[in-house]
Amino acid sequence: MNLKTWSKSAVAGLALMALSGTAWADGMMRYATVGEPPSLDQHVVTSDLATTIAHHMFEGLYTFNAANAPVGLLAAGETISDDGKTITISLREGVKFHNGQDMTSADVVASLNRWGEHGSRGGLLFGNVAGVEATGDHEVTITLNEPFGPWKNLMAFINGGPAIYPASVMEAAGKEPIAPENYIGTGPYKFSEWQPNRHVELVRFEDYASPDGAADGYAGERKAEFDTLRFIPVPDVGTRVSGLKAGDYDYAESIPGDLYADLDADNGVTTILNGGPIFGLVFMNSKDGPLQDNFALRRAIQTAIDKTPALQVAIGPEGLWRANGSFLPEGNIWHTDSGAENFSMGNAEKAKSMAKEAGYDGEPIKFMVSTNYPFHYDKAIVYTKQLAQAGFNIDLQVYDWATLIEKRAQPDQWDLFFTHHGFVPDPILISVMNDNYPGWWTTDEKAALKAKFTASSDPAERQAIWSEIQALIYEQVPTMKTGDVYTYNIASPDLKGLGEATLIWPHFWNVSK
Amino acid sequence: MLVYTIKRLLALIPTLLAASILVFLFIHLIPGDPAAILLGDTATPEEVAALTREMGLDEPIWKQYLLWLGNVLQGDLGTSVFFREPVLKVIGSGAETSILLATMTMVWIVLFGIPIGIVSATKHGTWVDQVTSGGAMLFASIPTFWLGLYLILIFAVGLGWFPSSGFPSVSDDGGWTNLRYLILPSLTLAAPNAALIIRLVRASMLDVAREDHVRTARAKGLHPAKVAIKHIFRNALIAVAAAFGFTFAALVSEAVVTETVFSLPGIGRLVVQSILRRDYPVIQGVILVIVVLYMVINLLVDLAYARLDPRVSLK
Repeated sequence: MNLKTWSKSAVAGLALMALSGTAWADGMMRYATVGEPPSLDQHVVTSDLATTIAHHMFEGLYTFNAANAPVGLLAAGETISDDGKTITISLREGVKFHNGQDMTSADVVASLNRWGEHGSRGGLLFGNVAGVEATGDHEVTITLNEPFGPWKNLMAFINGGPAIYPASVMEAAGKEPIAPENYIGTGPYKFSEWQPNRHVELVRFEDYASPDGAADGYAGERKAEFDTLRFIPVPDVGTRVSGLKAGDYDYAESIPGDLYADLDADNGVTTILNGGPIFGLVFMNSKDGPLQDNFALRRAIQTAIDKTPALQVAIGPEGLWRANGSFLPEGNIWHTDSGAENFSMGNAEKAKSMAKEAGYDGEPIKFMVSTNYPFHYDKAIVYTKQLAQAGFNIDLQVYDWATLIEKRAQPDQWDLFFTHHGFVPDPILISVMNDNYPGWWTTDEKAALKAKFTASSDPAERQAIWSEIQALIYEQVPTMKTGDVYTYNIASPDLKGLGEATLIWPHFWNVSK
Repeated sequence: MLVYTIKRLLALIPTLLAASILVFLFIHLIPGDPAAILLGDTATPEEVAALTREMGLDEPIWKQYLLWLGNVLQGDLGTSVFFREPVLKVIGSGAETSILLATMTMVWIVLFGIPIGIVSATKHGTWVDQVTSGGAMLFASIPTFWLGLYLILIFAVGLGWFPSSGFPSVSDDGGWTNLRYLILPSLTLAAPNAALIIRLVRASMLDVAREDHVRTARAKGLHPAKVAIKHIFRNALIAVAAAFGFTFAALVSEAVVTETVFSLPGIGRLVVQSILRRDYPVIQGVILVIVVLYMVINLLVDLAYARLDPRVSLK
């Protein structure tokens, strides 16, 4: 081949390569993620990204409808004994796992037991479970030591929750996440492949048995319209936005607030607000250091901080954040203003005198934050300045997230650390309620209220007890809420069936293009 | 030459040992525990300790190193903590992207860098030289993330000629046409590197042009183009060959910014993310592969010297 014909064919080849860029079938939904999840095992992993992918594959006995109420998914119904201690759950029949096996009570018992022992949130329920047994091919009976109000919410929350796997997978599973070859669930999509740094791919499960009823939140009919769901890590936000506009992605997550106005006005892009806000938390050390049991000093710190400027700096447009002191957002059944008057006082003078009364003598307070989450760091900078104005000697320690996670497990390494929390449908799931969560808030007052809160099954009574707990959080300050952040995602206008907002994690059953 | 090559390959062994000890020490020095990251927010200290034990990370560091070394000698680089796949497979998937990307970038560098460099040198001091040298300085100074984002905006979002990001394997649907995903990133990477090659070709050619044999060739009445290519460029190529070798190695291992902007599953991004995840086996494996790559390329450059310059003898 001489140079001339070679260059001609090279040009033709390039043109062909450029043109074939549009050859994607409509059967694939391409979702640009911020990164890769640590694993898709729902029992042990609490990453929201993991659930966004995994809840297409794995299902629990219950799920949430649009009103955040728990309703049956693999469960057909349940009966509860008069003393509230025996729960008998009947399972839907004809449900198949992705490996072709029928789902039976043996699978449910094995899954619940593994979740109870090793699951991230399993201990909350199983601390009170006497036993789980199969009382029929499609019936499971859970026996409780004491009545436990939030059991159904815990069962319905799939993130770190009781997904149902085959018994054969559960028998070999421990605390470590299960391996991808064991990703066998009952959902409308099944696992296809995970190419490191490239994509996680799910394909339609042809034998899927959908629950009945109209689609309502995560409940009701689930229909897999796409052949394939592909979750592609695209770490750079500029590329996520450009890729969506160029038609290379159909959906892109986690877009910063400062782009919201432009994208919302752009006809080529649909913006989708997440209905459940995330909220930043600054935890205080209850095991070691100057804040250990000095609640007055903690209240002084709380008094020094004005949350609004930090939200403005870190998030941007007003519609995307709310300086809300209630742990659950307005409109939610758990919303309460109790204690929230202390949420954002920003009174440096008062804080100074409170700190003096609390015996603070200017010793350094170690405040850990990670730059992996820019909004943590931005807010921490604002707080550090406000605290300095109130006379606190803040030693801001900036780490990568992996280092922060290791250090916060060591009580002598820190006094304050910054993290954030996803929306949860029951306050029992908020990390500060967990005695083992770094910060280790375990006062007698908390224990007494928590026991009352979990024992009650009456919604009104539980709401009243939650108000008392929230007031106690503002009094003992095991953690400081930093305000609600409404994250948003963007989608191609060609996607049909997405709805106006997502509940917590976007889902792509009943969605097509 | 064969004896020389074998000697050089044997010399790889102590270098690799030293590099692997350093890497092992450094990653164990930084805080952060793979078990804690893997188990997430709600794991108790007991559970983290149990997994740490299971992964063998509670052993003394020298013991961990010897165990790892023993496995490496048997061709087993271990299993990725994060992906739970063999490290070789994880690196292989990244290497495909990085090697194809580096190769395509080298093609652009050769296509643009060398001819423009030759023209710039032969038209030394004229406006052509000023324009090409100025252009080269401009491209050498543009940050790759900025150029990459603009290429995406113009050629992917605006004109729709190329995909914006990602790179499906050539063994995936689409086969070799998937190389179109690498056109914009390789151009992004080529810009600063081609600019450096232009400057290098120009400078080396100007050096050689002052030598006696060039004056003799001109005095003989040879055609100026023949003098430029055969007598000047051929001799200037020796310096350029070394630059090519190291540019290729750097393109494979250090293209992390371009890989991030175009979300390519390459080696550079793999290293950075594995460090953030404290995925020790992958970090060790990748660094080992990169060290081997640099040493092999170093060897190839030395062998190329002998071909290009008959005065160089390899012993």
